[in-house]
Amino acid sequence: MKKLGFIVLLIIIMIPSVFATAEREAASGYEVAMITDIGDIDDKSFNQGTWEGVEKFAMDNDLTHKYYKPTEKTTDAYVAAIDLAIQGGAKIIVTPGFLFEPAIFRAQDLYPDTSFILIDGFPQDGTYTEFRIESNVYSIFYAEQESGFLAGYAAVKDGYTKLGFMGGMAVPAVVRFGYGFVQGAEYAAQEMGIDAVILKYTYTGNFDATPENQALAASWFGGGTEVIFAAGGKVGNSVMAAAEANNGKVIGVDVDQSAESTSVISSAMKQLGISVYLGLEEYYAGNFKGGVSEVLDVTVDAVGLPMGNSKFNSFSQADYDEIFNMLVNDTAGVKSGIIGDGGMGGPDSAEALPVEIVSVTVVQ
Amino acid sequence: MSSIFFLIQQTMFFSIPLLVVALGGMFSERSGIVNIALEGIMIMGAFASIFVINGLQDFIQGQGLLLIAILVALASGMVFSLLHAYASVNMRANQVISGTALNMFAPAFATFIARTVQGVKEIGFTNTFRIESVPMLGKIPLLGPMFFQNTYITTFIGIIILVAAWFTLFKTRFGLRLRSCGENPQAADSVGINVSKIRYAGVLISGALAGLGGLIFVVPTSTSFNATVSGYGFLALAVLIFGQWNPKRIFLSAFFFGLMKTISATYSGIPFLQDLSISKDIYKMIPYIATLIVLAISSRNSQAPKAVGVPYDKGTR
Repeated sequence: MKKLGFIVLLIIIMIPSVFATAEREAASGYEVAMITDIGDIDDKSFNQGTWEGVEKFAMDNDLTHKYYKPTEKTTDAYVAAIDLAIQGGAKIIVTPGFLFEPAIFRAQDLYPDTSFILIDGFPQDGTYTEFRIESNVYSIFYAEQESGFLAGYAAVKDGYTKLGFMGGMAVPAVVRFGYGFVQGAEYAAQEMGIDAVILKYTYTGNFDATPENQALAASWFGGGTEVIFAAGGKVGNSVMAAAEANNGKVIGVDVDQSAESTSVISSAMKQLGISVYLGLEEYYAGNFKGGVSEVLDVTVDAVGLPMGNSKFNSFSQADYDEIFNMLVNDTAGVKSGIIGDGGMGGPDSAEALPVEIVSVTVVQ
Repeated sequence: MSSIFFLIQQTMFFSIPLLVVALGGMFSERSGIVNIALEGIMIMGAFASIFVINGLQDFIQGQGLLLIAILVALASGMVFSLLHAYASVNMRANQVISGTALNMFAPAFATFIARTVQGVKEIGFTNTFRIESVPMLGKIPLLGPMFFQNTYITTFIGIIILVAAWFTLFKTRFGLRLRSCGENPQAADSVGINVSKIRYAGVLISGALAGLGGLIFVVPTSTSFNATVSGYGFLALAVLIFGQWNPKRIFLSAFFFGLMKTISATYSGIPFLQDLSISKDIYKMIPYIATLIVLAISSRNSQAPKAVGVPYDKGTR
């Protein structure tokens, strides 16, 4: 009886792995590799967006591809994962997240024959004293502040005057989303001549769906906040849960999150997949932007709102196109006037942003 | 006034899962088996039940679906805890290690199965279970908005479980036997009680309740299940110890934890708390400081079951 149970258990365990190996045996090496950051490949956010770009390019061009998950969140583990990917035949490795900065700093010298696409980061030695980029690294930043700006602008234009911002951890990309949101709301308020816009602003310190995050969002909605911009991975799911129970609205982040909840009115996106795709395309066409670090913004359509899936009351596609074109052409210095984050010469706290109509309350 | 109602409603979302899971832990520990696998069992219960909700929500919604999910959560938690019972009772394994193994296994299992079946780890669900206002009861002044508006049927199930747990433990023959196996299994065995059976029962009840706790935890908190319950299983263990393995005290400590956590999470949205002009840091510290103080006062007479954690060996009779 015991033996039989054991055999049944073994079979149950082995069935899925048989399928898995069948898939893997198709190729001997993996040319295009990605190393995941905190969170999983299917996080419906950062990693997934990047992976979709890798996958699409590899499928279109019939290349072998694979992702690797570091054993832990340390530079050593990241370098080990990079090494593993290279052992596995990787020619180009995509690494999403600023946590990879020190790992790429080391890897660019260790593996000069391999190319790297580093998203949201610039190679540095781990202490922010030495910055250096070699010809085998292409570093991509996004102008998250412009995406946040569009979200804040659209929200105020759509008639909301009590806003909230709930970021995850205060990492540079999240801060840029938040600062842009505040300034976008200010810009719309000035344009419309509104007297006052109230904006509650916080970083939850995590990227998880927890009762704490849900309770915080619920208390804001209960206290009159109409729409919360949730820029923190799974924090957004807690905000959506709170919004559904309190008739609130949510603006999602990174990717189009309209499918996750009916409370999502729009999402401040950055087109991870598209830019990874373009980066890979350039590599295989022989004009890899090695040694280059660039910020992708509205001018290359790298950030923006998914208007097709947005649920605004009055803010229309035409309104969106107008502000978007103003940003693209930098009309009246709108785009260049947006303050990114503390590291880019901006203030350390959102309360110190130069806004007049929007009153920002930072909640710690 | 509405802020107070809001505080109480939110406190329920924190307290009820803690209460149910801690009561589960109580049944196990009162029978003599340490159960630190509560976290893992919560994950399994939530995983199985949310999976069922995800599969069935196109066909049925609302309370009917939630009741099905509750049954699934109870059953899956119970099945999963069988592993712990087998290791601790039959194999006389170290109960802490067995529990740790389950805690490590559960999220990995949930992730693996979810990916194998649906491609992604995250299991989404649509929340159709919230009760805006309970018919009749919701209209009672004061009590209505506090307990019968913006609530879930699981809140009341939690309270029923509390009463049932108290009754079972102190007013039934089974309860007496359960307690005796946790205090002195040798003596219990000598009067003809089957210690293995009772301990199995204790662990299975704890598994069922922890599984249910996992479901209750996830439903109001998120719009998807992501193979984690954010350490609430361990917090429930703290509530159990804080509550001195006694249903009434567990109830009080679950609500104490819940209220403190709610205050620290929501003070920024509640006008009268903001008007008190207390530093933000104080609010953040409240749950921890209050716990320290209460523990310092109450921990002098710890009432842990005497035989908890010791595998029963007939030879020691």
